[in-house]
Amino acid sequence: MESYDAREQLDIVQRAEAAPYIDYPATPWWYSPVIGAWVAAMIGVFSWWRSHLALAIVLLVVLVALEGAFIAWMRQRHGALPMPGRGTPPREIASVWRGYGFTVPAVALVVALTWWLAGAPVAAGVAFVLVTAGLAIYERRYAVAAAKVRSRLA
Amino acid sequence: MIDGLDPIIHVPKRLAAMAILANAPSVSFRFLRDHLGLSESDLSKQMSTLESAGYVKSTKDGHGRGGSTTYRMTAEGEQAYKAHCAALRSLLDGA
Repeated sequence: MESYDAREQLDIVQRAEAAPYIDYPATPWWYSPVIGAWVAAMIGVFSWWRSHLALAIVLLVVLVALEGAFIAWMRQRHGALPMPGRGTPPREIASVWRGYGFTVPAVALVVALTWWLAGAPVAAGVAFVLVTAGLAIYERRYAVAAAKVRSRLA
Repeated sequence: MIDGLDPIIHVPKRLAAMAILANAPSVSFRFLRDHLGLSESDLSKQMSTLESAGYVKSTKDGHGRGGSTTYRMTAEGEQAYKAHCAALRSLLDGA
């Protein structure tokens, strides 16, 4: 095999490997607030763990089932939803994912501290605001990174 | 196999399909068709070849127009794809 064939094949590989990361339907406007509300609801459920155990378990099962259904819907809608730990994201996308990975523990720490200092209802409110805003920022950064990858591979 | 290259993956359409499958846990028929720009019959043929080689597995949900097919890469396929890409890179390095 000639080296120029190898170059052509590696170009095909690079463009196709990037496809799941950069070819995706527009994120719906309600995505960030719905995930924020889901996290707030999880906090609410855990705060009832001691006082209303049966209700807390039922709600927990419902929330987990909703999350599973949501991910299945996202996968079907996207067609090739990438997941961390599988494949090789383009460097621009990997940078956004790293930022997300650093931010999530920080948000969890702030919410946990709020819960400890001010109680579950306030923590749920803080979680809703931080998760909604954080996801909206992440989505914007991801879109910019995806546009850079498209431009680089064009 | 020539120079460590896999003759099944070497075909550009199948190489691109494998590259997409290597980066998502499952990939729909529609995504592959749209990205690769293939007709449905051609894509079916290419994916059948990969499936016969044990490199991908398909799952069908529903029947008829509402039905959908998704593919995922097998461990064997992942190994073959990585080996093929490594062979391509070594060819370039040695050029």
